[in-house]
Amino acid sequence: MSALARRDFLYGLGSSLGALALTDLQAQEQAAGPLAPKKPMLDAKAKAVIMLFMEGGPSQVDTFDPKPKLTELHLSESKRTAGLANGKRFYVGSPFKSRKVGQSGIDMSDQWQFLAEPEVADELCVYRGCKAESLNHPEALLHMNTGSRLGGDPGLGAWATYGLGSENQNLPGYVVMTELALPQAGPANWTNGYLPAYYQGTRLRSTGSPILDLNPPVYKDRQHQRKALDQLAMLNGQHADRHPEHADLVARMESYELAYRMQMTVPGIVDIDSEPEHLQKSYGLDRKETAAFGRQCLMARRLVEQGVRFVQIFSGGWDSHDYLQKGHSARIASVDQPIAALIKDLKARGLLEDTLVVWTGEFGRTPDNNYRGGVTALGRGHNADAMNMWFAGGGTRKGTIVGGTDEIGAAAVDVVHPIRDVHVTMLRLLGLDDNKLTYFHAGRFKQLSQFGGELIPELIG
Amino acid sequence: MARKGIAMKALFGNSIRPGLLAALMVTVTAAADEPTKPVSQLAQRLPQAAAEKLFTLEVLPLLKVKCFGCHGTDPEDLRGDYDLTTRDAMIAGGESGEVALVPGKPEDSSLYHAVLWDGYEMPPKENDRLSPEQTELIRQWIASGAPWPGEDVQRRIQQQEWAVRENEDGIIVDTSGGLADDWTYRRYQPDEIWAFQPVDAPDLSAALASGQNPVDYFVNRRLTQAGLTPSGRATPDELIRRGSYDVTGLPPTLEQLQAFRTAADKDADKAWQQLVGQLLDSPHYGERWGQHWLDVARYADTSGFSNDYERSNAWRYRDYVIRSFNSDKPFNAFVLEQLAGDEILAARAAEQEDSPAGLPQCTLDAADSELLIATGFLRMGPWGTAMIPQKEARQIYLDDLVHNVGQTFLAMPLRCCKCHDHKFDPLPTRDYYSFYAAFATTQPAERKAEFLGEENRNGFEPGKKQVEELLAFARGEQKQVQDKQEAAARQWYKEHDLPYKNENQRKNDPEDKKPPRHVGLTPAEKGIKKVREQDVWIWERRLERFEPMVQAVYNGQDDYKNGRKLREPKAINQSWRPSSFILSGGALEAPSEPVTPGVLSAAGLPASDDPDSPWRVTDDLIGRRLAVARWIASDDNPLTARTIVNRVWQYHFGKGLVKTANNFGSKGSRPTHPELLDWLTADFVNHGWKLKRLHTLIMTSQAYQRSGRPVDASALAQKDPDNQLLSVFSPRRLTAEELRDSVLQVTGELNTEMGGLPVMPEINMEVALQPRMIQFSIAPAHQPSATPDQRNRRTIYTYRVRGQADPFLEIMNLPNPNESCELRDSASVTPQAFTLMNSDVMTDRSIAFALRIRSEAPKDDVSAQIQRAFALAYGRAASSREVASLSDYLKKMQAYHRDVTPEKVEYPRFVTRSLVEEFTGKPFEFIEKLNVYDGYTPDAKPWTVDADTRALADVCLLLLNSNEFLFVY
Repeated sequence: MSALARRDFLYGLGSSLGALALTDLQAQEQAAGPLAPKKPMLDAKAKAVIMLFMEGGPSQVDTFDPKPKLTELHLSESKRTAGLANGKRFYVGSPFKSRKVGQSGIDMSDQWQFLAEPEVADELCVYRGCKAESLNHPEALLHMNTGSRLGGDPGLGAWATYGLGSENQNLPGYVVMTELALPQAGPANWTNGYLPAYYQGTRLRSTGSPILDLNPPVYKDRQHQRKALDQLAMLNGQHADRHPEHADLVARMESYELAYRMQMTVPGIVDIDSEPEHLQKSYGLDRKETAAFGRQCLMARRLVEQGVRFVQIFSGGWDSHDYLQKGHSARIASVDQPIAALIKDLKARGLLEDTLVVWTGEFGRTPDNNYRGGVTALGRGHNADAMNMWFAGGGTRKGTIVGGTDEIGAAAVDVVHPIRDVHVTMLRLLGLDDNKLTYFHAGRFKQLSQFGGELIPELIG
Repeated sequence: MARKGIAMKALFGNSIRPGLLAALMVTVTAAADEPTKPVSQLAQRLPQAAAEKLFTLEVLPLLKVKCFGCHGTDPEDLRGDYDLTTRDAMIAGGESGEVALVPGKPEDSSLYHAVLWDGYEMPPKENDRLSPEQTELIRQWIASGAPWPGEDVQRRIQQQEWAVRENEDGIIVDTSGGLADDWTYRRYQPDEIWAFQPVDAPDLSAALASGQNPVDYFVNRRLTQAGLTPSGRATPDELIRRGSYDVTGLPPTLEQLQAFRTAADKDADKAWQQLVGQLLDSPHYGERWGQHWLDVARYADTSGFSNDYERSNAWRYRDYVIRSFNSDKPFNAFVLEQLAGDEILAARAAEQEDSPAGLPQCTLDAADSELLIATGFLRMGPWGTAMIPQKEARQIYLDDLVHNVGQTFLAMPLRCCKCHDHKFDPLPTRDYYSFYAAFATTQPAERKAEFLGEENRNGFEPGKKQVEELLAFARGEQKQVQDKQEAAARQWYKEHDLPYKNENQRKNDPEDKKPPRHVGLTPAEKGIKKVREQDVWIWERRLERFEPMVQAVYNGQDDYKNGRKLREPKAINQSWRPSSFILSGGALEAPSEPVTPGVLSAAGLPASDDPDSPWRVTDDLIGRRLAVARWIASDDNPLTARTIVNRVWQYHFGKGLVKTANNFGSKGSRPTHPELLDWLTADFVNHGWKLKRLHTLIMTSQAYQRSGRPVDASALAQKDPDNQLLSVFSPRRLTAEELRDSVLQVTGELNTEMGGLPVMPEINMEVALQPRMIQFSIAPAHQPSATPDQRNRRTIYTYRVRGQADPFLEIMNLPNPNESCELRDSASVTPQAFTLMNSDVMTDRSIAFALRIRSEAPKDDVSAQIQRAFALAYGRAASSREVASLSDYLKKMQAYHRDVTPEKVEYPRFVTRSLVEEFTGKPFEFIEKLNVYDGYTPDAKPWTVDADTRALADVCLLLLNSNEFLFVY
């Protein structure tokens, strides 16, 4: 496709806007392929991102933000009226003990065993100041993943690959791994939105074909596929000869050859049996409760190692309205060892320095609960005013706690920032300026933060 | 038609545009197809009065909008410790200590360099960045000594300025007024507000050559000016394929192709005219063009948000749209029905059809149900209420309506004005909230509406039976768990010597006077209880597909709404009136000035006879929308007809005369051929808003019939690389729907039955069974329709779930139905190759294609088979090279397939679901029945056909993957 045709095609730009409307990025894209690696705008601390998304809303006070005061208040009546709270409510103290771990003394509930090891814990930068703004799962998920609550805007990984391209042209630049069930709001969480389709997240499936229809039906072997593609190239070649004026044809022909190469590279990435057994074990692949998430964490490391720009893993089931103790303890147990192994593995390979690991949910949880079915259910509601998340590597400030919540963990009070500021900061670590990483769509330059945000300098090392 | 403002000629002339101080300073070119840039910087220093005027009218407002937010408004929080609100502070600079402004010397002023993004980059955001004209104003002001007159002088300068409506610096647009005078009296360049000006069609009676199509008059004039030679007419084969896809979304059949070749040979013009007429008469026209409308309207069969509840009767709106296109319903009637069908009914009932605003001249003879079905448009956006405070959910609904009515009918996206006066267009936030108030009595609901004779009700019986089975299963499962719990509860009461109470009766009892919650249930059973409760809801709702109900609206008071079931309240409070305010910053907690229901003032078209409040519409409970709809559908509304005419043009040519079909504002594109757009618009309105007339006019033009091959490719690349001037016809890739429909037509499987219940094609089985989270549960699996003829209906009739698209369609760039899609994307991404080469869906089609060829061509004649395949797929004969190459390939594949036996794959009768149980964090499993497979007619599969068929299918698959098949020239 000619550069101009492609621009026209991709951006639907009014040409009256002409050169003025083309951002530098869009211009770069004209010159090279859409996923060709691009130079960051600013000095980049991170090259890649692994985002560990705890869907459902992990509770801050039961993970990394302990509140002794809440334990004192346990089961006493709560007068909070924030959010959707109504009816009689009571406080719920954490069922877990907390302790300070590592040299840095980061707070962690005792459910975290592996993450608490000093060599892991001291890598973390725990952030307690974020406010999520939405109380419902899909909207909050979309907000955290796309910067907009409404759905239809590009995902974080789409922005990152739009801004930086990908280091490996034989793999998707933006890879998403989920549990068998998709998170709420589904693929809208990793859509390319109004960015061109090249930037959409590609799901690597944990069961079945890693990419949908990656391979032909089993009765057609690889030679069969090669011969078919050769014949197709013959047909398309003859056709292209008749239409020399039409540059799109070449792009489509090339996509079949890339597909053929990906049939080789993708199974290689997914084939984690090639990893040493002790490493597999360290990710918890030998234990039922950690095997699924451990596999995905190990795959994430392999992908990042191969130059994939953005990897996202979703782990569901954190929505503990009731039976918090059992719920959170089981969820933590399923991710604790794999995450710790991921950080150690990245570190050992020298990848942690420029790989930003993010652990977050879509919002936090309340310090109190309502009566469910008429009984004191020991769980927590949704909380848009406080949550916790942590970062590791990628130029973040290691071994630190940034920001804080009030004495019962109900609302962020220190270093308070909305989600958009977290996004701005993540982009900044990748060497991208949210205000310049824009895309002209529907009459204005759009950006991840919607209308701009602030850097959270405390998070940067 | 009232004429106001400036003549269209002046808007688009390729002339030098004088600025405020043009003679002295900036001159700017404003050609429609060139970027604006400063051309000269004549004067270095303005006289004092001129410089003060420059400051007051240009520089200060610019500073306020672009700079004061961070450098002045909040003295406690000055970025870089730099205050720009006084001359002294501006000169002094910020924390760097460096003097920022040197009066008379812009080059020495870091402020000037900052706004040029030279060193510092200010303002820092791309969106806020100053244009070259704006930085030039700053430069000129500094060069003139940076005068900063006192407020009295400023006031005097302003008032003098505001008294002049139009000057060299632009036009003040009459609106209902912004939140500040600066906004109300700001000036627009004529080309920024082109869309708000009355349609001004040139009179062609003298200009047109005999028999010349007016389209060609305008298009060829531009080509001549540009020195480009247009290409000649495309071949008959290309033309019929182009026209057929364009009008019907399907390729021509071989018979149509042959007939057209013969006819074109005799008289090419006549043959084409006849063909265009035939195509427009085809019922497939409504399916193709209805799809365009559904893209814009955001059609889906579910509601999105957390639960993605089915909108069980949405299909009736889809069919209404198709019917409307096929009957060539006047577009103004189409507008009125969709926006206010229910109110038209109410007006009819009250015999008040001649309301003061006056009904536009259009036929409104639709049946009662049809008018309710039409209001489905107002239900197309994604919406839900779960876990969203009621007022906020209501605001989300109304904002969605306002925004989308604006962009759909008026090409004016309105969401920008939810929080502030529009930054670029003459759309005050007051108008947004007036428009909002016009919808503030509109409430979503499923309403009763009898089925119409023309509605397809096939499949109701088996469909209902299938749902009833699933409902019975869910109820049975639910009861088992419930019975177990209640048995334990009885036991508990017995042990505590208390009388038994059922779950509902004991709800509010103290904890020691009732059994524990979920008594007697294992953790898994607790999860199952919730899942089955949700299942019962899902299947009960789905039964509404078969009821005479519609997704519609009514007018009434705001009351509690649960998106799960939206019904009209028992009583409507006729005296209820919503209070309507401008919400500062869009916040519900910050109502400011009150507003009345009304229309967009900048369009210059009054909605009422009252000269004091021309933009106002009724504030009765009923009638607000109808009044707004009448205003939108008015012959004199400058936006509406232009918008649809441009959309029609866009779908024919692949790009609009205005490329941003949903946005005619200043940040959208300018028309490439403004006179043509206006001429077509006037013709459209003057002839009763009939789309088929417009299609005919466009399609019979030379411009539409041109070949895709340029006469001089290098001249084209140089002079018009984007082909804006239409010297050639631009090729395009098939859309997702066209591709699927074409494949089915070529394989002989397509069932052209129209309308009715959504059908379910087979989709990738992993996706079909993919668990999809909804609140408390997993959404039901995709179960395909039981018979091939139902599965193989046209794609527009397939079930569209917001939360899960058919992966085949999605990968071929099916748009996300949560956002209005003005134009399809067709980017080539690699996974498309996986789907088209490897998917079961395509394998099955290739086998069907092979079976068709084997039944239509001699079995042992390989080259005849290849010729037949080419004829069906491409409508042409294969070349000898193609025959030779593919024969060789086919023989190799025959040999290959003789040695392999495809394994049979069984359809599952149920799927085991696993969820993490909320209470314990432990996974639990349950069964979902897939009852369609109890009586399922599968397609031919690799294991049901012989090796030679599989080999031929390999050839067929390649044809269906080829560029020749996927592109239209």
